[in-house]
Amino acid sequence: MIRLEHVSKVYKTSTRPALDNVSVEMDKGEFVFLIGPSGSGKSTFLRLLLREEVPSKGRVYVSNFDVAKMSRRRVPRLRQSIGCVFQDFRLLTNKTVAENVAFALEVIGKPRNTIVKVVPEVLQLVGLDGKADRMPHELSGGEQQRVAIARAFVNRPLVLLADEPTGNLDPDTSQDIMLLLERINRTGTTVLMATHDHSIVDSMRRRVVELDHGRIIRDDARGVYGVGR
Amino acid sequence: MRTSFVFSEVVTGLRRNVTMTIAMILTTAISLGLLGGGLLIVRMVDKMQDNYQSKLEVSVLLTNDVSANDKDCAQQPCAGLRSALEATSGVETVVYENREKGYERFKQIFEAQPELVKLARPEAIPATFRVKLEDPARANVIVQAFTGKAGVKAVNDQGEFLGRLLDVFNGLRNIVLALALIQALAALLLISNTIQVSAFTRRTEVGIMRLVGATRWYTQLPFLIEAVVAGVIGAIVGVGGLALMVFGATRVSGDLFTSQILPPMGMLDVVIISPILLGVAVFISALTGYVTLRLYVRL
Repeated sequence: MIRLEHVSKVYKTSTRPALDNVSVEMDKGEFVFLIGPSGSGKSTFLRLLLREEVPSKGRVYVSNFDVAKMSRRRVPRLRQSIGCVFQDFRLLTNKTVAENVAFALEVIGKPRNTIVKVVPEVLQLVGLDGKADRMPHELSGGEQQRVAIARAFVNRPLVLLADEPTGNLDPDTSQDIMLLLERINRTGTTVLMATHDHSIVDSMRRRVVELDHGRIIRDDARGVYGVGR
Repeated sequence: MRTSFVFSEVVTGLRRNVTMTIAMILTTAISLGLLGGGLLIVRMVDKMQDNYQSKLEVSVLLTNDVSANDKDCAQQPCAGLRSALEATSGVETVVYENREKGYERFKQIFEAQPELVKLARPEAIPATFRVKLEDPARANVIVQAFTGKAGVKAVNDQGEFLGRLLDVFNGLRNIVLALALIQALAALLLISNTIQVSAFTRRTEVGIMRLVGATRWYTQLPFLIEAVVAGVIGAIVGVGGLALMVFGATRVSGDLFTSQILPPMGMLDVVIISPILLGVAVFISALTGYVTLRLYVRL
């Protein structure tokens, strides 16, 4: 589903590569944690998958997209098959919960009747039924992140990228969000989550890929955050 | 493409920075109004040329001596001049107008100013050959050949006068068009700036749109349409202003037009040039919008 072959990324403003000869493969339906200290290359990794960046060297594949080489015109197709969740939720503050989720479908030209049908379904899936008409500021952080997850998942992406999705949440709420991500993973969606959260990684016992200075220093099938950390 | 979505985005965008939008509309309106003014002058000059070209004559004014003594152009040097004129190639007709007839004509022309007529004595009016040419542009042949000949006081080319008048109008046109150009540059920069501001205030939306895989057109079209809508409104305001000015001008200088000295400029002329202005507005705003989005805004 996701495959990187000898990928390096050097930013123009920096001499040290953000990613240094990274090769890794993630299968369909896997749940993978991407860990490592700040500046280790986690964000660059995710940005390469979305083609926010192009690698300096190597090849990137997502599903059957040759991400690094694809033409600009095909990029929207790639992004339609990837869902994204962030630490800061990135909701539209002037739209209701349902409108926020519907927005993701509207802008890719989905017909009205499809939107009317699938938005309530996905809101129910993330546990927000009954809150469709609330504004984001009326919700708790955990609920806002659920809205963001609903928006990321509403188009049934093949891959869900989560960049520190629990970074702004308390441990209990984080646990709820992880349960939700697990549920989404069980539908067959590959989930790749970049995180600093030890307890979550340790309790989930999923595959852990650790980056340091742009290199993969660990890849455990059922890993923990780190020994002695 | 969901049109309702794009439309609501456009309305939100225009409302959100309404001061910028108004500035953009006004600048565009002034620029297009000036451009329209320039075009109107072009039309006026064309009409004037059409009106006068066929009537242009070269006047060969005769000396006082001839004017006083030779009523029918029967004596020399008058008769000789006439046959010389008639023999010149390119000359269509030669009409002799003696002092009395010239005076009559003078009175007729200045009917409206009796004090001027009262002041003028017939003795001040020279006898004249009115020479009509096949090609008024070649008047200088006559001017050169007959200036200074015996019995000739002066040779006047009406074309030269008309030319000077047209030069004035063409100069005016150039000034107006130059102003239009400067103003257009201001409008251009404003459009570009407004789009950048607009894209900045909507960066969250645009970011999400990019992320969920909206196509380039879907993300850019609202901004483009915003620019074009403002451009079109600007054009309408500009045309309206122009119509108002033409209306005012015809009211004030009605005599000048009705006396046929200047060709009349009416609402019809404004109507004729308005599609040009509208087209220019749409083209410029769309192009500016597109280039701005390409160069400055990462969508």
